[in-house]
Amino acid sequence: MSMPPRSRTGSGPLVAGLIIVIVVAVVVSVLAAAGITPERAWNSFFPVGGATPATDRGVATRSLYNIVFFIGATIFVIVEVMIVFTVFRYRRKPGDETLPAQTHGNNLVEVIWTAIPTAIVLFLFVLSWQTLNTVEAKAVSDVHVRAVAARFQWRFDYLDANGATIFSQALPVGPDGGLTLPVGEPVTVTLKSEDVIHAFYVPKFLFKRDAVPGRDNTFSFTVEEPGTYRGQCAELCGAYHGSMVFEVHALPKADFETWLKTQVDKANATPAPLPSGAAGPTVELTAKNVAYTANTLEAPANTAFTIHFVNADAGVPHNVEIKDSAGKSAFKGEIITGQAETTYAVPALAAGTYTFACTVHPNMTGTLTVQ
Amino acid sequence: MATTTLNPAAPAYRSGLYSWLTTTDHKKIGIMYLVNSIVFFVAGGSLAMVVRLELAQPGMQFVSEAFYNQAFTMHASFMLFLFVIPILAGFGNYVVPLMIGAPDMAFPRINALSFWLLPLGGLLMASGFLVSGGAAASGWTEYPPLSGAQFSGTGTDLWIMGLTLIGTSSILGAINFLVTIFKMRAPGVTLFRMPIMVWTVLVTSVLVLMATPVLTSALIMLFIDRNYGGHFFDPANGGNPVLYQNVFWFYSHPAVYIMILPAMGIISEILPVFSRKPLFGYKAFIFATVCIGALGFSVWAHHMFTTGAVFLPFFSLMTFLIAVPTGVKMFNWIATMWRGKLSFDTPLLYAVGFLTMFLIGGINGAFSAAVPVDFAIHDTYWVVAHIHYVLFGGSVFAIFGGIYYWFPKMTGRMLNETLGKVQFVIMFVGFNLTFFPMHQLGLAGMPRRIADYSASAGWSELNLVATIGGFVIAASLLPFFWNVLISLRNGKIAGDDPWGGNTLEWATTSPPPAYNFDHLPEIRSERPVFDARYGRTAGH
Repeated sequence: MSMPPRSRTGSGPLVAGLIIVIVVAVVVSVLAAAGITPERAWNSFFPVGGATPATDRGVATRSLYNIVFFIGATIFVIVEVMIVFTVFRYRRKPGDETLPAQTHGNNLVEVIWTAIPTAIVLFLFVLSWQTLNTVEAKAVSDVHVRAVAARFQWRFDYLDANGATIFSQALPVGPDGGLTLPVGEPVTVTLKSEDVIHAFYVPKFLFKRDAVPGRDNTFSFTVEEPGTYRGQCAELCGAYHGSMVFEVHALPKADFETWLKTQVDKANATPAPLPSGAAGPTVELTAKNVAYTANTLEAPANTAFTIHFVNADAGVPHNVEIKDSAGKSAFKGEIITGQAETTYAVPALAAGTYTFACTVHPNMTGTLTVQ
Repeated sequence: MATTTLNPAAPAYRSGLYSWLTTTDHKKIGIMYLVNSIVFFVAGGSLAMVVRLELAQPGMQFVSEAFYNQAFTMHASFMLFLFVIPILAGFGNYVVPLMIGAPDMAFPRINALSFWLLPLGGLLMASGFLVSGGAAASGWTEYPPLSGAQFSGTGTDLWIMGLTLIGTSSILGAINFLVTIFKMRAPGVTLFRMPIMVWTVLVTSVLVLMATPVLTSALIMLFIDRNYGGHFFDPANGGNPVLYQNVFWFYSHPAVYIMILPAMGIISEILPVFSRKPLFGYKAFIFATVCIGALGFSVWAHHMFTTGAVFLPFFSLMTFLIAVPTGVKMFNWIATMWRGKLSFDTPLLYAVGFLTMFLIGGINGAFSAAVPVDFAIHDTYWVVAHIHYVLFGGSVFAIFGGIYYWFPKMTGRMLNETLGKVQFVIMFVGFNLTFFPMHQLGLAGMPRRIADYSASAGWSELNLVATIGGFVIAASLLPFFWNVLISLRNGKIAGDDPWGGNTLEWATTSPPPAYNFDHLPEIRSERPVFDARYGRTAGH
């Protein structure tokens, strides 16, 4: 079979080539202008910007990702080159009305391009199955945490060997909150949901698992690097799904044990009596449906006052934290889980504008004017 | 075959609104399917613009979180159930009877009914925006308990009712297609001489018939739970929320093939015509289509890998395997163009766009088949990138290719080629600008369906790029609508066969008379019009 004559006429390929050159030039210059280095661009094709995963399971998943990525990228390049080559090579010359050879097919090539992809996907399947067994393996661990998800909040219960709660962490983020774990120790987490489906997702662990109501999902992992890792709900759970965040604090083993002992002691201690007979005027504030019912509050300057705070959300923790214009915390009320109410004694504040917010739900905010 | 002389200029297309409202002509119904779908495409696209605007920067600038959730829920519901699925059914409606040499569908009145259920269902679904609490907002998947009565309002009931009607429309349409294809083929159109488009509609109809009733059952169970105190999905009373996901995806994964197989059919019609060669591996292609249809029923739980409630290795294996018949198709398409003589009219541009983009949608899907990798990328923007490379880079590019390809047959006039090419280039650039960065956003840990993100998360730049891309896509529709408007009035007269087509729809006038054919050419292969033009021996 003779090759059809090459066609070099027509402006089509020229225009197409020009468009490609312009697009590539624009993309490259925009990237360069935004200060994005080739290295950073390359790393963006790997989980969490190419950073080393924080857990042993994450490292296994990352190795699998690399294999899938390089096989996928190779197939992508080969097939795209085939398409682009065919498209440019076999253009019809204007005025050429003859028919090309009418090839109907070829059973041999059909067998080849069925067999090779089958071999590739079976190879990938076996590899991913092996990695799956590593990732799913349950470890025997001393640290067992029950992560309880409810609409827009996380709670972490630390369990003893019998499954009883020894300490409960209601605050999902911040230095006093979050899921604190030891480094280098196998950890087991059981997920529970109190309302809808949520998902426990820590990008740096390369892992997520759903928290399904009526079903306990348990998994194990070992954190390998100390640090603070961002986590967030990954299954749509309602309007504030995007603010359902948490943090994981991974501490060296000794620090973790000290931390846990302190927390357990604190939890067992008799709670300090609430300051009674708080002085000054009272300000009313209610939290309902994960929002404050008032956006603005007023209070007198240089006088202690009280906030009568009602949390109307059943099962949801809220509080009131007052921050000055610089973002520094001037007062932080104890977190109460609804439905409940409490009275906060707020110390005297200088005149000015403050913001108040819920520590658990940073999107619940308002303005406090002190004058 | 009796030869009845029909007047090709029968005034069927100029006789006013009443004839459109009462028609049972498969061609008019097909065109109404297309118009109705484009209306919902614009509505769904506008909602996508709301989503992209809000995500362009961290912080909530334009809408509330509650409305944001309604916007992406209704965006997907419109695009999947009221645009991609019905517009492909619309092409099927228009071309299948023509391609098999039939005068109409087997059940013309049921055909009209299945069309009219669509705008009704769509309006019912959209009316959620008017009720207190707004439209459905639990994602197009509407997982309970979030979609239950405790957390979602009346909009969800309207969504369920609307989708049930749309599902009924699909089921009726599928029965109609199957009977038409099995019973109405002209003499000589054997099963293995049917155009691939007809084969894909056949397999799609089987999928619809097997899967859609299962979705309807899920919707009715959800409706009972919401309104009549049922406990199908309520764990506190012995129900199971994962049951809904199993039943829902048992439909909704095959639905992906319902949304892509006819699109592949369109591509398989365009490529041979504009390469002037037969489709390479016609029978292999049919076998691959049937394979995809069959395997499509064994992969639904790959949407549920992170629930901890499915047997992972099985669904992983089946998901990997379904890449094989899809790959076979890709190679056959390239081989069809290989050593052809390609004319770069707009339909071919869209077909090549389909090949290059759908390839990405296939490869990035393999990442999710590797279960541990799926644990990392599930429910992140990676998945959003994946579905858009399949359904936009795949289906939507094929749909526009199909519009440019069959518009001359439907209206008798050509669309403007320059405007068509301008639209293609803008859409191609905008599409990649929007959806390619979503891979990187997903890898960087951005979950889908969040209304807001922290400025410190490092997702701001790529989100801004995606938003700009979204507006480029929107801009690409302006030349399209302008093109349709001017071409309907002043477009070049098409004639019977402007492209040098292969299949029977090009053997009649443009537009065809109400009963389609005065006479049929001899049908001895899958390319009867090609055979009639060049002689039977030229093709071999």
